[in-house]
Amino acid sequence: MPNLVPHLLNGLSLGLLFALIALGFMLIVGVMELINLAHGSLFALGAYFAMVIIAPELSWLGSVGEGYQALPLAMRYGLAILLAPVLVAVVGMGLELCMRRTYGKKAEYGLLLTFGAALVIEEIIRLVWGPSEQYLQVPQAVSGAFLFAGLIYSKYKLFAALFAVFAILLVWLFLERTPYGAIIKAGAHDSEMVRALGINLTRLRLLVFGLGAGLAGLAGIVLTPIWGLRPHVGIDAVIPAFLIIVLGGIGSFWGAVLGGILVGLAVGITGAYASEWSLLSMYLLLIAVVTVRARGLLGRKSVLEA
Amino acid sequence: MGARPSAASAWISGEMVCLFAVMATLPLWIEAAGLYQYLGIEIAIWMIYGLGFNLLLGYSGLPSFGHGAFFGIGAYVFGLFQAWAFESLLLGIALATVAAFAAGAVVACFLSHRRGIYFALMTIAFGQVFWFIAIKWHTVTGGEDGLLNIPRPALELGVASLPLGSNVALFYFVLLVFAVVVVALWRLVHSPFGKVLQAVRQNEERARFVGYNVWRFKWAVFSLSAAVAGLAGSLFSMAQQSAYPDVMSLHASGVIVMMTLIGGGFVSFWGPVVGVAVYFLARDVLGAVTETWLLWFGLVFVVSVLFKPEGIAGVWQERVSGVLRLRFADAPLRSGRTGDVSIVGPEHGETKDAIGQSPSGR
Amino acid sequence: MSRRNLTRRSLLKKAGLLTAGVAATPFMGPWRYNRVYAAASDKPIVIGLTSDASGQYANSGASDRRGMQLAVSEFNKKGGVLGRKVETIHIDTETTPATGSRVAERLITRHECAFLIGAVSSGVANAISQVAQKYGTVYLNTNSSSPTESGKNCHRVKFVWDGNGTNFAQAAVKNAISAYGKKWLLMTNDYVWGHNTSKATRKLVDQFGGEIIDEILVPQGTRDFSAMLLKVQQAAPQVVAAAVGGDDQKAMRQQVSQLGLGQKMAWINNQQDWPDVYGLPIKNLFGVFGTTWYWKLDLPGVAEFVKRYQAAYPDTKIRVPGNVFYNGYMATRELLSAVERAGSTNNRKVIQQLEGLKVSARDRMQHHDAFMNPGTHQMQQTIYLATANAGTKDRDDMFKVLSQSSPAEVRDKGADAACKMESLDATPTYET
Repeated sequence: MPNLVPHLLNGLSLGLLFALIALGFMLIVGVMELINLAHGSLFALGAYFAMVIIAPELSWLGSVGEGYQALPLAMRYGLAILLAPVLVAVVGMGLELCMRRTYGKKAEYGLLLTFGAALVIEEIIRLVWGPSEQYLQVPQAVSGAFLFAGLIYSKYKLFAALFAVFAILLVWLFLERTPYGAIIKAGAHDSEMVRALGINLTRLRLLVFGLGAGLAGLAGIVLTPIWGLRPHVGIDAVIPAFLIIVLGGIGSFWGAVLGGILVGLAVGITGAYASEWSLLSMYLLLIAVVTVRARGLLGRKSVLEA
Repeated sequence: MGARPSAASAWISGEMVCLFAVMATLPLWIEAAGLYQYLGIEIAIWMIYGLGFNLLLGYSGLPSFGHGAFFGIGAYVFGLFQAWAFESLLLGIALATVAAFAAGAVVACFLSHRRGIYFALMTIAFGQVFWFIAIKWHTVTGGEDGLLNIPRPALELGVASLPLGSNVALFYFVLLVFAVVVVALWRLVHSPFGKVLQAVRQNEERARFVGYNVWRFKWAVFSLSAAVAGLAGSLFSMAQQSAYPDVMSLHASGVIVMMTLIGGGFVSFWGPVVGVAVYFLARDVLGAVTETWLLWFGLVFVVSVLFKPEGIAGVWQERVSGVLRLRFADAPLRSGRTGDVSIVGPEHGETKDAIGQSPSGR
Repeated sequence: MSRRNLTRRSLLKKAGLLTAGVAATPFMGPWRYNRVYAAASDKPIVIGLTSDASGQYANSGASDRRGMQLAVSEFNKKGGVLGRKVETIHIDTETTPATGSRVAERLITRHECAFLIGAVSSGVANAISQVAQKYGTVYLNTNSSSPTESGKNCHRVKFVWDGNGTNFAQAAVKNAISAYGKKWLLMTNDYVWGHNTSKATRKLVDQFGGEIIDEILVPQGTRDFSAMLLKVQQAAPQVVAAAVGGDDQKAMRQQVSQLGLGQKMAWINNQQDWPDVYGLPIKNLFGVFGTTWYWKLDLPGVAEFVKRYQAAYPDTKIRVPGNVFYNGYMATRELLSAVERAGSTNNRKVIQQLEGLKVSARDRMQHHDAFMNPGTHQMQQTIYLATANAGTKDRDDMFKVLSQSSPAEVRDKGADAACKMESLDATPTYET
């Protein structure tokens, strides 16, 4: 039997990436009680924006364009990882503005609107960038492989996992240490209370949707160098995000992180010992957990249940 | 709401007669309309599927995103029965329906204690499990290539045997099944059982306090809806003469949700019928004109959710009620409250449905 | 009369339908279409293009279609076929078999297509061919390389133009055992195509004295291969034979190249379709893979063919033709030539022509003569093995062709036994 340790480590890093994918989804579900089915499309959009920022078509700009392209890849990549999520956040806020028409109606309408938006965004991506496989460049420093205990690991994978930890901590700090975060957390528990306190719920929702969308875009930038980039790549993100949130418990930050890590471990370990079950394992995990604990691992009662 | 008692308690309503009459003449004019006979079969089958699905979504407020699984089970069971046992139309269909019912019943045991998003997610998870099995168990299901060469057995009537090989013949057979399903479901939703479902949809807690065993009702409606999906699936496998796993995929399961809602499944019994027709026609007509038809369809869908979330049936009702019933039927739509104000608990004020009226009527 | 209710929309017919549709249709006789009517010389020959425009194979589908359209336009420039203009109509099959069935029904019954061409996904090809067989419409599977297409799921009306997984394995295994070693590991996509391909590989590895140390099954939809690639490293094989397709393969390619595993052990991949790899960094291509054609083959006609492609499609992102385009083009060209030789679009005559088809190496722009196997309806052709053209300056010149094998060397021996084709007599007559 091959050594288990590398697979545990690998599963853990996979889990951190899954948690990153679920982060933006979690925020929107938690605060707005809305399942954002456009999460996957925004994920893809982030990666496409990053691709454009890293290697734009700038011939029409003459020497300015050439100058930009001569910048080191690491610099352009850094710019992309900062700027592309912001752009996606703007798109997300636009979606939220549309969303407003569905507030106060059945929760299903919000779901449907995001379903439609997912369709439209994906088709627009296909129209603009074509259906073919694209390639998101990453800086030299994080590409390639390294040797550890006799096995080869991907540098990028390590970077991505560390980046996921960084992003998770950042979001946590934002939620815990800033006044905005306090409001968002309050909103996650009780939107009536937020309103009663005289806080502008409209602006809160705009902010949260923008943040959630931006995080989806960020996850897209981090994940697509591993998964490859194509217009329908989002579907690979939205389903795990869904599962992780339910597994961890809706409205729970650490639940999402824990759910992500569990899914990562399940996929990683079955991938090594019974690989044909590696994808199904996450569904079986969900069914097992939710059968025993109706609201997921760390979940509380949610309005979405009614 | 809105259905007059006389219409609701009748076995056959005026709408049904009109619909059946229009559909019965379909083979006569469908080609003149620039379409083709086979399309009629698929539309009728998906209408059956949609009506059964709306039992869950519209009447009980239980969103299932994995219903394709039961449609697929019906298709596979029908095909396998013909291949392993003997060719028999009615037996095959019956068995497919029972199998889908059984699968639905098992899944419903896990689901019936769940609500809202947890319910939806569990349906996705189970849908994926079934889809996985269909692909993985390829010695039985044929994997992604599907189960091929499924026959269209003749309809044996004792004295005569009607072959269903031609698309027109199969269409009439499907139409017959459709008519039976429509009448049966119409009766069901207007029975006491149907009323309880609507109570569950409007407020599960309250229904429980009143003394209904909500669990059992949810279980029953899910299993029934799965059985109807299986029935439609068995017909689909005859139409296609094959059964493929992709009807069980998340995407396919999402499409039936979309069709039901576009048509107005929340406000009308006929919502899914309208939605299926619109979806299929849009796909066929737009699909031939532009490769990006999905973009246009998506845009129309988004706009309709934004401005007319009650779907096509909702628009229709508003028109009709505007003329006939003035503002009576209309009022609840606008005011954001349901007709049965008393049944809505105040504690959920905001996220409650504006369109709380049940799809019982027209 | 209702046999003919799928043909022209004349008043007469509608009158007939009125009676038949209501009363007679359910009693229709044995399932058989006889759609023979005067082929007016001014009536165009309509070909239904069934390539995928959305879904996993959208990109390859577009290439496939460009190939067909170039062939059609070349015939039209010469004055059409049998004096009739050739027209095409395309409907997206969405990489979905159920859609394939519906599209085939539509193209045959509504658009009265004489022939159907195009597929990348074997599931779709299958679905279309089943409908086509029912009506008797000749169908060309241009680009699906599943061995089942010309084996278990062969049909009298279907002709397969791509090399299949078994052909590629035949070309690769023997050489790879002697060049790289006997310790093999299989990575297999856990669905029918993957299992068929790995079965063929397994047989050949056994035959040539190799040993399979493990088989890793990859579920369809896998995006992260890290666990499986760690396991591959732990097993330390000399050769990895991968039968992983579609988007899974694209993700795997990316991750193997990240790790540099392509250099650590020898990799035998299945065919790499040109639209799938075009534009990617060269290092993402690894190991040895198969192809039926390459645009830099040093053969007469190839350079001129590339020019024709560029003239016809000046705006396409893919600046040189690849194997998918080539198959689409060749299939269509041979079909239209067969129609000319048959002097008719009658399906039986065209099938007989195609079953006896022989194409010289020169006309195929390949190294060996090719022919249609009448028992399986698969084109028997030269198979090339290639690898990444490392260090190239020309970003279009991505492949380095390593070897070529003649049709006899790569013959799919199991196919003849597996293929149980309908007889010509059991196939309905079809002509438009």
